[in-house]
Amino acid sequence: MAQEALVQMLTSVSRDGAVRAGRGLSGLMGQEISIHVPNVRIGTKADACDAVGGEESLVLGAYLSISGDITGHVMLLFPVARALQCVDLMCGQPSGTTVEPGELAESAIGELGNIVGSAFVNALADDLNLILHPSPPTIIHDMAIALVQSVYAEVLSQGGDVVMMDAVFEDEKGRTAGLLIVAPDPGSIERLIKVAA
Amino acid sequence: MTAPPSEARRISVGIGQLAISRDPKEVLVAYGLGSCIGISCYDPQSRVGGLAHVLLPSADGKRAEDREPARFADTGIDLLLRRLAEAGASPRRLIVKVAGGAAVLGPANAEKFKIGERNAEAIRERLKHHGIAPAATDVGGAKGRTLEVHVGTGKTFVRTAASPANEL
Repeated sequence: MAQEALVQMLTSVSRDGAVRAGRGLSGLMGQEISIHVPNVRIGTKADACDAVGGEESLVLGAYLSISGDITGHVMLLFPVARALQCVDLMCGQPSGTTVEPGELAESAIGELGNIVGSAFVNALADDLNLILHPSPPTIIHDMAIALVQSVYAEVLSQGGDVVMMDAVFEDEKGRTAGLLIVAPDPGSIERLIKVAA
Repeated sequence: MTAPPSEARRISVGIGQLAISRDPKEVLVAYGLGSCIGISCYDPQSRVGGLAHVLLPSADGKRAEDREPARFADTGIDLLLRRLAEAGASPRRLIVKVAGGAAVLGPANAEKFKIGERNAEAIRERLKHHGIAPAATDVGGAKGRTLEVHVGTGKTFVRTAASPANEL
């Protein structure tokens, strides 16, 4: 399959997942969240983190691995201030109560990652008739590019190229509310192409 | 002193890239090294600096892509040293520092994702192959790092999301 066709197929497959993940986020944040059409790209790109403030910007989020019929990686990243707002919303506290990531914040972000990440993985499983299991979420809190780069390395170390899907969530004011990144392992690409054909 | 001179130009060295500079106003920076590793080199006599941003341990005989010449530790280090020599640096005088190779995706995945550890090992081996022992290293752990080398002074700094720049 030509790269262009692969990108097209993955964009269509991930659209439903991103919509469902956005719906999950919307429910948790208590406001409308819009989703940019997922962007599927092949190869490493330095601008993958632009939506959350650029390479060195600090993000808080969750990482999940996918196992089952295909394997891969799911990351949900928030600019830290936005993540802390989510925590306040989820915990029913006035906005601004949580000022730094602590145990409660991390547990809430883990739950957020679980709901949003699983929504994506389940949509993928339903649409493609696959059995997929999202792992429990791991809290990640670091420079955005360090996290994205580590997923690149993990995928590329298995041979083949990296195929990464990213979807930006925006709030009612058009501000970035989160960035969802999904990357299948190279060994799963063939399988995805087969079931999507 | 951790802040670069105000007229400094920061040159971002992205994933798989390398940069060589003789311009004392330049600061070469590898932002957000997760499992990636940055290798900084400086020859104090010729005042040539270099920085490579390595993603993976070994090319396994594959040719590095032109757009990511320093993707692999082995071929990346070979190229970095060659370019430094071409710019007038002496391999014997090089001060080499290494930072990165963290497991940033959490302790639950650290055992599975050993890329950072493997990168560090591959870099150690390749430098040894060239007869070079790093003057300083800051590798492993769970936090991403930014590594920069100031061409004007040869000073190298590492910072993480949680800590300010420390000289390496």
